Amino acid sequence: MKRIAALGIIAAAGLGCLMGAVGADKVELAKKQQALNAEYSLAKDANFYFVFDVPGRKLELRVRGMALRTWSLQSMRFWGEPHFAGSVELVRKTALKAPERIVITPGETETPAPAPAPPAKPAATGAATTAADFDLEALELRDMPKRFQLGFDNGLNLTIKAKDAGSRGLGGTVRDAWRWYIDLPLRNLFGAKEGQALAVLELVFEDEKDAQSIYWHFFDGIKGIIL
Amino acid sequence: MTIKRLLIAAAALAYLGFLAVLGASYFIGFKQASAWPPSGQEQIIADKDLPKVEKNVQQLEKRMTGLLPRGLYIVIDTAENKLTLKDGNKVVRSAVVSCGSGVVLEEPGGKKRSWIFDTPRGEFSVKTKITNPYWVKPDWAFIEEGEAIPRGMEDRIEAGTLGDYALGFGQGYFIHGTLYTRLLGRNVTHGCVRVGDEDLKAVFKAASVGTKIYIY
Repeated sequence: MKRIAALGIIAAAGLGCLMGAVGADKVELAKKQQALNAEYSLAKDANFYFVFDVPGRKLELRVRGMALRTWSLQSMRFWGEPHFAGSVELVRKTALKAPERIVITPGETETPAPAPAPPAKPAATGAATTAADFDLEALELRDMPKRFQLGFDNGLNLTIKAKDAGSRGLGGTVRDAWRWYIDLPLRNLFGAKEGQALAVLELVFEDEKDAQSIYWHFFDGIKGIIL
Repeated sequence: MTIKRLLIAAAALAYLGFLAVLGASYFIGFKQASAWPPSGQEQIIADKDLPKVEKNVQQLEKRMTGLLPRGLYIVIDTAENKLTLKDGNKVVRSAVVSCGSGVVLEEPGGKKRSWIFDTPRGEFSVKTKITNPYWVKPDWAFIEEGEAIPRGMEDRIEAGTLGDYALGFGQGYFIHGTLYTRLLGRNVTHGCVRVGDEDLKAVFKAASVGTKIYIY
């Protein structure tokens, strides 16, 4: 009798697990359908878009369903309402020191043209590596900020920063700590200014070039999906 | 003495009040964090809809695959100044290139025209393939050098500047060769994509009119 009861319990537990797994599969399928629908609506046009896979901790720039560039997050933290997933549009890109284009007006600023190099030798295809260290009158990746904010139409604010783009000096450290540990929790409690729920995500990248290239590639109006 | 004590008590109360509010905000914050990432339980599918959803997902995956470029295509990263010739996920060739400088050129004097030297970003395709191309210098090339804009077309033509090959991808933009090989890897061009001789030859041979170019 005891044996039958034990078998019954095991069978019931197994059935419970099976039902749970089926339920989880259904949820995954529903999520997949939603993500595919959202991505297809963006991918059918020739425009670039991004996919921010929060659980997968990666950010991708895509076109036509093809990943052009993938950035893996080193770490992230957030305050606020977690329901920020879905289709979004970048409406604001702000940086403390946003790069500015160099304006040349001949006659007012003289820009000497670089002299032509001698003809390239076949073995010298890596010539670019030696050209990396002098300053040019140009807007390059190295001029992009290592720390900046992206504001989306659903109210989500992303702070992107490189690992070593820390706060400058004691004042900066105190300001950042105040913002993250005092200001944001209080704003989250009392409500955001625009009437939208607060949602602030801070993404940290290992390499400073990652943060800089996100600034380069994410233009105002770019659409994307947050998973 | 009493006033001093009252002030201390008021400050202590204010501090405790602040800590209480902050504590409440952390409580709310951690509660929100525990609901993250969302479980998605609200999206659960009814059993009768399951085959329909599965079919829909398969169709969407098929459609997404259909959007991918077929055959060879070119990908250019304007930030890293890198050109990649790809076939599906396979990298056929990778090259260090030079893309647009992002500089703004303003015309002095009355006309006040201006040009932004960016490499255009987006999806393009090879429209023309030219061997031994000539550069037909546009107005900005003369303005930049502080020279008078010539009236005759023959004064605009310059040979040798663009290298041995050029692939046009529209609006006057080309993937072409360069004399300034030491600047490969830097953003120095007026919008075109400059490639080293050997890489240019390989890309030119591999690409045909219609080959897709993705510049980001």
